[in-house]
Amino acid sequence: MRGDIILEIRGLNKSFGPTAANRNIDFTLERGEIHGLIGENGSGKSTLISQIAGLYGSDSGTMALNGAPYVPRSPLEANAKRVSMVMQELGVVASLPAGVNVFLGRTKEFSKFGIVSLKALNRAAEEQFEKWELPKVDLHALADGMMIETRKMIELVRAMAVDPEILILDEITQSLSYNNRNKLYELLKKFKAMGRSAVVITHDVEELIEITDRITVLRDGAVAGVLDSVNTTADEVKRLMVGREISGEYYRSDSEPSFDETRTVLSARGLTVEGEVRDVSFDVHAGEILGFCGISDSGIHTVGRALYGLEKLTSGRVLLEGRELKSPTCALRSNMAYVPKDRDNDALMMGASIWENFALPSVTELTGKAFFISPRRLRALARKMTEKMSVKCRDIFQTMTDLSGGNKQKVNLGRWLAKDIKLLILDCPTRGVDVGVKAYIYSLMKDAKAEGIATILISDELTEVLGMSDRLCVMKDGVLKAIIPRGDEFTEHSLIKVMV
Amino acid sequence: MGNNKKNLTTAVAFAAALAAALVIFNVVSGGKFLARENFTVVVSHIVYPAFTAWGLSFLFACGYTDMSVGGVVVLAAFASTVFGNLYGYPGVIIAGVVVGTLLIFINFNIFAYTKIPSWIASISLAMIYEATGFYLKTSNATKSLVTTALNRDYRVLGQLPWSAVLLAAGFAAAYIVYNRTTVGLNIRAIGGNTEVSRAMGVNVNRTLLWVGLISGLFIGFAAVVQISYSGLMTVKTGLTSMSMIFQPLAIVLLAQIMKKRVNIIIAIPVCSLIIYSIFNLLTILHVPSGTLQEACLGAFLIIFGVMGRRGGREVVK
Repeated sequence: MRGDIILEIRGLNKSFGPTAANRNIDFTLERGEIHGLIGENGSGKSTLISQIAGLYGSDSGTMALNGAPYVPRSPLEANAKRVSMVMQELGVVASLPAGVNVFLGRTKEFSKFGIVSLKALNRAAEEQFEKWELPKVDLHALADGMMIETRKMIELVRAMAVDPEILILDEITQSLSYNNRNKLYELLKKFKAMGRSAVVITHDVEELIEITDRITVLRDGAVAGVLDSVNTTADEVKRLMVGREISGEYYRSDSEPSFDETRTVLSARGLTVEGEVRDVSFDVHAGEILGFCGISDSGIHTVGRALYGLEKLTSGRVLLEGRELKSPTCALRSNMAYVPKDRDNDALMMGASIWENFALPSVTELTGKAFFISPRRLRALARKMTEKMSVKCRDIFQTMTDLSGGNKQKVNLGRWLAKDIKLLILDCPTRGVDVGVKAYIYSLMKDAKAEGIATILISDELTEVLGMSDRLCVMKDGVLKAIIPRGDEFTEHSLIKVMV
Repeated sequence: MGNNKKNLTTAVAFAAALAAALVIFNVVSGGKFLARENFTVVVSHIVYPAFTAWGLSFLFACGYTDMSVGGVVVLAAFASTVFGNLYGYPGVIIAGVVVGTLLIFINFNIFAYTKIPSWIASISLAMIYEATGFYLKTSNATKSLVTTALNRDYRVLGQLPWSAVLLAAGFAAAYIVYNRTTVGLNIRAIGGNTEVSRAMGVNVNRTLLWVGLISGLFIGFAAVVQISYSGLMTVKTGLTSMSMIFQPLAIVLLAQIMKKRVNIIIAIPVCSLIIYSIFNLLTILHVPSGTLQEACLGAFLIIFGVMGRRGGREVVK
């Protein structure tokens, strides 16, 4: 039930040096409203919510919370006003237990005579998990080594533990699998029923329309429009986002599998990783896109890592064109590429430049006589790929941390496409990228398919795997339950029946 | 419950392994190792490195390093000697602890506010502290004060059972601060992810100053124990003060290898005992002290490290 305005923003501006991140933003959030925020990468969404959450100040403009001036100077001040946020890139402290992470910065609340009661702290964290019906996490275990999804859950509970009136979620659904995404939707419903409000950022337009009441579209740092979710369409949102018509269909339009069944590129036989996946066998063929989907703990992400040699196999074999692969070095030499889900931590060298990131997988090919590597050749490759992949940057010497999520992903993908690859493993390739980049990534996948490159697409988004795959491997509890070919059975409903 | 049981099992296995190792040492040394007099020497030797290692563990937990600790120990020991000879036990304890704490606190102010990488800044500070020590030892005004040994009447903290009491008190304090206080958790948070800590409201600069105070206290007590044991501190120059932290450093490194299974604060005295037991055994076996014994320590560390890192896939720097 929506009501009066809880947060009102008028004429908010924020610049970083010569770049105007936000220009004259007006924004209202009603009590009991779930408000979506969408825009291309670099449109100013993250800046706006960072201002609301107290991470950034404003150059000009005003914010009012419950009618009173609201100028948070830190996230802690925002929390004190019951505004909390789960950030896209922030994460948890790996060296601390999950329970402490939930109350980090607030441990004094559990302290008596200076001694923190970890028992009381963990009990309170557990209560929060129970209250919001989120999957339980081992609160005593260090966050180090936990899956990205589990870490996001800890961050979500950390935000909920503030008992917020306003909850801000910055692209967290794309880190979650189908079941946990549903749990988040339930949480939002419950939150809304309590008369609380949320601002949700996601690049999934359909999801945004489904779960929100209104949507504010940002373009180039300014508000391009505010839409009522019930009266809008995905195409209208996309048009407002990019300022031009975007075709609603960026997935494949064919309804039959199309690949060369006679040419098997990769065979996995009896893959078993202790405690993660059991006895998984499948083949991938030239020009095939083989999708993998499943709920959390289904093991789909482990399969990707195991194929590339990043997981220790208890048993089983991975054969690329008959040659057994046992390590990432071996996989790389056999022209296999792997794009992991956690782009910033597992894939890219964030402190290095664009050219270094582009060049890294191709260093062996570009090594000349007497092991000499010509920096000129490496940079030429990086320049070529920057142009080909349309990476928005100052120059190739810019560090990765300066790029938006979409452009980082272009570098992440492009560095593999610069090579002559036979198999491409993509784990959630469109996580955290806008519709424009998403469409671009799908077109790259279609091109790769046409060139006969085999692709393994692992995704938490059912629409994505359904839209792009020739065949779909559905996993549950670490076991491959079914392989469904593109056709009549290729529906969300039939997948969920196997997954859940 | 499951977690507690696992912790208990680990603790029992750990204690059993340690006891077995000591028994083996005793057998190898023909029963000399666990002889009362010999074992007393081993135990009294572990107090100084344990305190220094606890101090270092707080430094490392927040991602900093301090190469000037040896220089600080020298100056704190000088203060302990001078004020101990003048005022007795209050002088020994207060002067040593205050000078140790103050200097490490100054170091952390420099690290926190100048943003110079701590290992670079601390080497410069080590040179300054060594030069100060040298000046005190050679200046006519102070020479007689710092070259006089600490009066034997005030050296009880370097001997059993008082050194063991100090060790137990230090252990309790380190354990509580590291694991059960807001400042301890914040220190570990900063070392784990400074940005997250800052976003969660941890005052990074203030926490760093706390690290300086806490580490300084432990280093100060280490100096008190050292001077109480030896009676006289020799001056160090040419960065030789850094050699004073090699063994505590080895202890922290060993404890860090074990920290996935054993809390680092608990592991430190245990590792001190292991390392000094090895040195003691080698001495009993007439292995020449100095280079060869240290080579054995180095080899032991590598072997233990390989065992501890078994199964790890990430690059360790």
